[in-house]
Amino acid sequence: MTTAVQPAGDSGGFGRPSSSSLADVVDTILDKGLVIDAYVRVSLVGIELLTIDARVVVASVDTYLRFADAVNRLDISDNEPKGLPDLMEDLNERGGRARTKGAIEAAGEKVRDFIDEATRERRSAGRGRGRKDGDQ
Amino acid sequence: MSQRSAIYVYGIVPGDVEVNADIRGVGDPQGKVTVARHQDIAALVSKIDLDRPLGRPEDLAAHAGVLDSVAAEVAVLPLRFGAVVSTMDGVADELLAGNRDEFGDALRQIEGKAEFVMRGRYAEEVILAEILAEHLRLRELREGIANRLADATRPERLALGEAISNALDGKRNADSRIVTERLGELDCLVNVREPTHELDAVHIACLVYTARRADLERIVGELARQWEGRVNLRLLGPLAPYDFVTTGLSVSG
Repeated sequence: MTTAVQPAGDSGGFGRPSSSSLADVVDTILDKGLVIDAYVRVSLVGIELLTIDARVVVASVDTYLRFADAVNRLDISDNEPKGLPDLMEDLNERGGRARTKGAIEAAGEKVRDFIDEATRERRSAGRGRGRKDGDQ
Repeated sequence: MSQRSAIYVYGIVPGDVEVNADIRGVGDPQGKVTVARHQDIAALVSKIDLDRPLGRPEDLAAHAGVLDSVAAEVAVLPLRFGAVVSTMDGVADELLAGNRDEFGDALRQIEGKAEFVMRGRYAEEVILAEILAEHLRLRELREGIANRLADATRPERLALGEAISNALDGKRNADSRIVTERLGELDCLVNVREPTHELDAVHIACLVYTARRADLERIVGELARQWEGRVNLRLLGPLAPYDFVTTGLSVSG
């Protein structure tokens, strides 16, 4: 009865019931909830708390280096002419966004000097086709 | 000061709440959870040994477990982990009697609602490929360091990693907005939490009418299907409303 977080139900999609891991609990109870000091003065008791600092520093040098390594390991190989577009098609099938596909195919050739302008990238997608990511 | 035991307080509940005899709380051995009452409000408490420091994983799980098991049934105001009062009289006469109106108001505001937390984690390879696909400059950075020794390319790798981290922030913000918008139909308070893992996609708490739980599960299910393979989405709850009670005791969003 002590960890009675109930499964979230079986309504599909998110599948198996989720139970709270220790990380979930730490994220929830350590810095949230009412602070007793605000309501009790006289009978307040301080108790020694074990140091708990499970927070991950999300942006750090270690994180950056890890991301860089992870990106380098990605299988977007240069001698495989269709690498990136294929990966993106795979992505699209798995629920990624179809919109990004045109952007990839175009990016290699024509539009080196701008980023994130999906419409222009899509327009030049046809011409980008021959080169793919070979020169990226 | 020679006192060796005291009363650990989990949360505040309506005065008519009964607690199952088998509910156990923090400490080793785990304390039996009982109720301290004052008129129409009460506190969930257990005895605690002051000679032991508190905060083992089991203690954290017990604190949350007591509150969440109650939250599934009745309104509860969770106290932050580590709240200890000297005696049962102190709980009733000082904590409850001294703050009865505030606690009563807050309990009424959360009545019929419980907190749920959505946690989504990006599938690393999929989200990194998505980011590379969208940013030519990152593909170029990646090209520039491929097949070169790690030591020789540290500045470039840092730049690449930082840019990816920034792009992930953007993804996280966009996806959190999508979830928040979808939750709009539930007429609920929403708290977008800070990410606590570098691949966090969404980390969002909402205070939902328990009568609408099925709607919440449908929405989360739809999002999970939409993001299948890209984001691993979990729904936790019902939980005590940790994110929605503040020490000012106004229920906030």
